[in-house]
Amino acid sequence: MTAWIDGQAVERGTAVAAAASLLAEAHGPVIAGLCAEAAAVQAAYDLARAIGASLDPAAGAGLYADLGALASGGAMTTTPAEARGRADLVLVLGAAPWASGLPGDLAVEAPVRGRAAGQPRALLALGGPGDGGVRHVAYPAGEAGLPADIGLLRGLVAGRIAGPHPLADLASRLRGALYGVVVYDPSEIGALAAEMLNGLVKDLNEVTRCFALPLGDPHQGRAVTQVAAWSTGQGPRVGFGRGRPEHDPWRFDAARQAESGEIDAALWLASLPAPLPAWTRRVPTVALLGAPTGDEARVVIGVGVPGEAFGAALWHPRRAAIAWQEAARQEAPRQEAARGAGAPQPDVLPSAAAILADLQARLAAFPVSNPERSASC
Amino acid sequence: MLTRIAGGRVVDPTAGRDAVSDVWIEDGRVVAPSDRAPDRTIDAAGCIVMAGGVEVHSHIAGGNVVLARLLLPELGVSEPDAPNPHGSGRDVGMLYARMGYTTAVEPAMPPVNALATQLELAEIPLLDRGGLCVMGNDDQLLQLLRDRESADAVRDLVALNVATSRALGVKVINAGGADAFKDGAVRFALDDEVPAYGLTSRTILNGLLDAVEALKVPHPLHVHCSNLGLPGADDSLIETLEAAEGRRIHFAHAQFYAYAAVDKDNPLTGGFTSAAPRIAEALARHPNATLDIGQVVFGQTATISLDILRQFSGRKAASPRKWIVNAGDAEGGGIVPFRYRDRGPTSSLQFAIGLEMMLLSPDPERTILTTDHPNGGPFTAYPRILHLLMDKEARDREVAAHPKVAAERSGLAGIEREYTLSEVAQLTRSGPAKLLGLADRGHLRPGARADVAIYRDQPDRTAMFARAHRVLKDGAVIVEDGEVVAWTRGHTLSLSVEADAGMARRTDAYLQGRFGAGLSSFTVPDAAFPDREVFEAVSCRT
Repeated sequence: MTAWIDGQAVERGTAVAAAASLLAEAHGPVIAGLCAEAAAVQAAYDLARAIGASLDPAAGAGLYADLGALASGGAMTTTPAEARGRADLVLVLGAAPWASGLPGDLAVEAPVRGRAAGQPRALLALGGPGDGGVRHVAYPAGEAGLPADIGLLRGLVAGRIAGPHPLADLASRLRGALYGVVVYDPSEIGALAAEMLNGLVKDLNEVTRCFALPLGDPHQGRAVTQVAAWSTGQGPRVGFGRGRPEHDPWRFDAARQAESGEIDAALWLASLPAPLPAWTRRVPTVALLGAPTGDEARVVIGVGVPGEAFGAALWHPRRAAIAWQEAARQEAPRQEAARGAGAPQPDVLPSAAAILADLQARLAAFPVSNPERSASC
Repeated sequence: MLTRIAGGRVVDPTAGRDAVSDVWIEDGRVVAPSDRAPDRTIDAAGCIVMAGGVEVHSHIAGGNVVLARLLLPELGVSEPDAPNPHGSGRDVGMLYARMGYTTAVEPAMPPVNALATQLELAEIPLLDRGGLCVMGNDDQLLQLLRDRESADAVRDLVALNVATSRALGVKVINAGGADAFKDGAVRFALDDEVPAYGLTSRTILNGLLDAVEALKVPHPLHVHCSNLGLPGADDSLIETLEAAEGRRIHFAHAQFYAYAAVDKDNPLTGGFTSAAPRIAEALARHPNATLDIGQVVFGQTATISLDILRQFSGRKAASPRKWIVNAGDAEGGGIVPFRYRDRGPTSSLQFAIGLEMMLLSPDPERTILTTDHPNGGPFTAYPRILHLLMDKEARDREVAAHPKVAAERSGLAGIEREYTLSEVAQLTRSGPAKLLGLADRGHLRPGARADVAIYRDQPDRTAMFARAHRVLKDGAVIVEDGEVVAWTRGHTLSLSVEADAGMARRTDAYLQGRFGAGLSSFTVPDAAFPDREVFEAVSCRT
């Protein structure tokens, strides 16, 4: 089964009709999660525009730590492949980047392009967990925490802190590197520290080359940001309640809206795995899920997993770009055939984009106020 | 359906046409006048009828356009009934269509970010779109050139990149400059070496010029020279023009190079004066060359460029004081916000030089109107710019309101020329269409695509060009009285070019080694656009 209403299995068409009714009756719907292929995210922004919904990706909080810093001061960044190819020094901030596997790869390679080619690579860590499997030089975080350390480091690099300091050696290494890269996870260090880090990196470029490398979230947030930007001119958290896109990271935080009772219906989009927030149990919700069990929300519709069931445009963490991912090789049909002709055909799940387009078509037929046509409310 | 656009003044310089007559349309194409009764008549009495406008250089999609919106959220806000050229793709399409433009090209699509750029282009409604694939700082190409591989190998790599990214043409941005920047350089010129490869910018340019010719790409190599915006940049443009040695070449946003150094010995400190006459003269001598202007207009904007060396060097002029430089997998990109100060001396001089270049043009089909949106300002300034080109009196009033330096250091005030409507059509229609090699647009001869702009003829040319009376795309009316009435979606134009299988295998291995992802990861398949036919093929030259 691939569709459920109140935990009871139903035909998919019945579930889509129920989903359309649920959204049609809503005064303040939100479309959240957005952990999906680009085509589905695009369809979600199109649907939101049509029904006056707001949007918030699962990646929201961590994403906005970086977007906030970007809008405050800008950034100087590079890509994972350039870090691998060019960096003679990599500084890993905090604990989160170690889970990505990137520091391990960087530790065993050396620069092959640019002026540092042929030189060894120094892997340094500040406030890291001390991964014994990867050879690196560890600098412990100070008592005030990582954000304060980044500020101190910036002061040291700029020569604004006199006298001996535990991080003085790290500052001098950064200044001496030919192509330094500072790897961080914005959700771990937060917006203020990310802004300080961008300042540190920019300062270093007065004398050498050094770039920040923010690691992406695992929930397609950086792909969502791009779709949001070209669909609305703004970042992902926008609302179409007044018929035009309004960007407000605080106001359109889905969890906050659920908590304060500002939303009365939701569509949760996760064709790829994303943690389901608790508020989907309280707010009447339609969930489009790549791996459903059926009891996640009032209406649950199973959808194909992008990059497995079909080819899709997805965030590629090592390329730091939206990239094409072919469908996984289909081994299953042969196994089915081996079981004999009587075996039932596996249900081919529709894409989330197709369900969202279907919903938009159905909602266009409902006699509800369309914000595009009557924006005066 | 047979349509007659009746009684307008039809302006089509490619047919020597400028008279009151009819334009007939059937099945999305312009047809010869018919004896049959039309199914629909569009009254164009008192109107000017032209082909749809064609844009050759406007940053309307891609990772850097996205970053500009994120850096400057305040710049991209869409207010009710006020679509924003810095805003969504929807706003961009609407604003172009309202001005009578029906085709627009994004000139900077890095192959590593082709899929996202193409997804974004496809979300610009109403227009046909296209992207130019950027090469010239990518390690794979620089390795081929360093290792003195054959011209055929370079050609095959260019073909593969165009085919994989589904581009309409090829662009080079400060060849080798981004790579040099990553190795610490802050200045870089045509005969400087990219340190890690021992190659000059000239060698890279040569390789790409040859490859584009060998592949018979309709659009010539689209070149962003070194030293953009610096006093003495005119030398860079002229040197690059000479380096082309007769091969076809297009210069992007040439206004930003038309700056002759006042003090030749200390070019960076003495300021600049107009080099428009020098560039116009060079253009007259080189029929192989075209340029677009990159006209400056006043106000807040964001400069967006893959020339990270220049963007880094220009960072301290950022206004407001925030900027982005991304050292990407080849170029990356730089976003530096900038405010062209209304009545500021430098901005006023830049403004005057752009107009001067168009007014001195030996051939308006080869000096195409752009603002290099958003770098010189938004494309929505075109109506005002056309007005100033057409009206000497309005121009004099404008110049009089600017600081004296604009008149003293440019020849603008002394130019009597007023553009005719035919010349406007050359500047905005036939010129850009020919440049892109799109034989089916930019004119109204039988067989042309029925992309038509109808303007109410009025003395206020700004008002006239800002909101077309009617716009037809492929024969369908999409704009009435300056408002969009049908949200058609247009196509993305991509060049039909065969990729060599051997180069594809070799590149797949290269990309696997560098990115842990092979060639298929870099493709732009139709399946990325479910339930839509997005691409339209454009043939190479025969």
